[in-house]
Amino acid sequence: MTLILVVDDEHLYRHLLKVNLEKEGYDVIAASDGEEALDIISTKRPDLVILDLLMPRLDGFTTCERIRQFSNMPIIILTAKGDEQDRVAGLNIGADDYVVKPFSATELVARVRAVLRRAETTEQVANNRYFIHGNLKIDFARAEVWRENKPVYLSATEYRLLIQFAQNISKVLSAEELLSSIWGPQYRTDKEILWVSIARLRQKLEENPHRPLHIVTRPGLGYLMPPAEKEI
Amino acid sequence: MNISRMIKMEIPIDVVSLDHLYAISRMVCENTDWKEMLDDATHLVRTILIFDNLAVYLQDPDTKEIEVLYAKAIGRGREGGEDVTWGEALASQVIQNLETILQQPGLVKVENRLKQPYLLGIPLRIDHKCLGALLLIRFGGPPYEENQVKLAEFIAQQVTQLIEKQQLYEIARRIDDQDKQIQLQKDFISTISHELRSPLGFIKGYTTTLLRSDTSWDNATQMEFLQIIDQETDHLQLLIENLLDSSRLQSGLLKMKYQHVRVDTLVRDAIARKKMYHSNLETELQIKGELSPIQGDPYRLSQVIENVLSNAVKYAPESKIYIKIEQYNGSTQIDISDNGPGIPQKYIPHIFERFFRNPEQSPTIHGSGLGLFICQQIMIAHQGSITAESKINQGTTIHIELPNQPKLI
Repeated sequence: MTLILVVDDEHLYRHLLKVNLEKEGYDVIAASDGEEALDIISTKRPDLVILDLLMPRLDGFTTCERIRQFSNMPIIILTAKGDEQDRVAGLNIGADDYVVKPFSATELVARVRAVLRRAETTEQVANNRYFIHGNLKIDFARAEVWRENKPVYLSATEYRLLIQFAQNISKVLSAEELLSSIWGPQYRTDKEILWVSIARLRQKLEENPHRPLHIVTRPGLGYLMPPAEKEI
Repeated sequence: MNISRMIKMEIPIDVVSLDHLYAISRMVCENTDWKEMLDDATHLVRTILIFDNLAVYLQDPDTKEIEVLYAKAIGRGREGGEDVTWGEALASQVIQNLETILQQPGLVKVENRLKQPYLLGIPLRIDHKCLGALLLIRFGGPPYEENQVKLAEFIAQQVTQLIEKQQLYEIARRIDDQDKQIQLQKDFISTISHELRSPLGFIKGYTTTLLRSDTSWDNATQMEFLQIIDQETDHLQLLIENLLDSSRLQSGLLKMKYQHVRVDTLVRDAIARKKMYHSNLETELQIKGELSPIQGDPYRLSQVIENVLSNAVKYAPESKIYIKIEQYNGSTQIDISDNGPGIPQKYIPHIFERFFRNPEQSPTIHGSGLGLFICQQIMIAHQGSITAESKINQGTTIHIELPNQPKLI
């Protein structure tokens, strides 16, 4: 049975989506904000998420971004913001499709079918909410990092930097690559910014920042997170 | 001013020490008002540069007229008052030529010093513009030495910086105010488009659900959807009416239609209408003494009562609503209270402003920021008042005061 998660803060929208999708034979569960959605995703693993953008607590953009850090499940964004900028932004953070409010029930159902059909041909990436590397644990859904089971507080940039390594395990990432993907292309040559950030990250994550185990320097090439088994 | 230029001034270190210059520039940093800075600096400056009168003229950038904005008479100048020169003519000349001008009497007669002013005029220039001129006047000399002229120019530059800073502050403040206005408008547009789209989205969604050709719905479900559509249409209607009312009230186009109004009946009707939509709503109405009819617009007064009741239902959904009516001193008092979460004190002064919404409020609670504004405008039109009192976690009371017989205007 196909399971669809509907995330909207408005009860009337949740109801609307539920009745229409259930009529199509799908199983539907609903969440009223991003945090609730992320919890449901990691326990129930739905086949598709329909996500409203404007929500309290955790908005749709952030929720979509977090889901994409650990899963490639199909996401349809539901937005009252119809302008191009918002639709493009939605697709850029990894949504598969978007539906602009007000929408017709027929159109919505058709889009759900189309997205699910496309998803069948795509291989599902192992949906792991947690990433473990030695004594380090990342919770992608909550954007939290734990070391020796104690929370580590990272700035947004530090977190994004760490995620880059975690998602490219044992791959050397060059300074230019890291700088342009995290700070933006105009920072490509500002190596000093990266040095400071790597040093700060090591201070927070490593037992001995001078002999790092999680983020290792490859002189002349860049940095990498080595495969975990080597250091345990 | 950088160090190398200070050295070029060649002021003998025994006349003006670095301490003096530092003290003057510190006054510039610490003051935001250039006149206050001059007040503070005069005493210090006089220990190194003697003068009797000091005047600052500023030029209006549009009309080019000059106007004296600061004048101080010290020493001999104090005896002369308005009869002595304040260097206005020289100020114009300085501003026109954009250069420092010295003006000294040819022959000095000791008996009437006040008639023999030694004038030093310095333009207050910054970048390419001239803000005005600083004038120093010595009655009966001695003539200004070159070093003293340079020191005076240094002071003039400091004053210029401060005037410019003050003018920029003023401009920044104005732009800031305008920004706030624009932001308010933007917030309004974004709130209102969200508020309008929201019922529209439900109407569209549930209508197209009913219209789906590939499926059918049982009668009960159809009724449920139609009720939602009906309710959302009313919601939209109310919103549009509120919008129109608020513009009419704002522009004074909405006239009150006065007639005899029985306040208790009006309040009872409003409560009954609320209960139609909120069957669980609990209310307690307390009427003190006999109420006599008042003059008012019954439709608009009902609007106020219903709006306040709606807010209580919306923001304090768990609470019972208490309504108290009494009349004394020719006026009618209506208090509507709830035991809800309350409104933070800092927002109370703003809740009657047009488009204001408590920013800490969950975005799931809909509102346009018009309701209480409309209430207040209606109360003003009735020569009455509406005020709020609130305690966090204890509740909110809205006080309404109406004159029983408003004065005819």
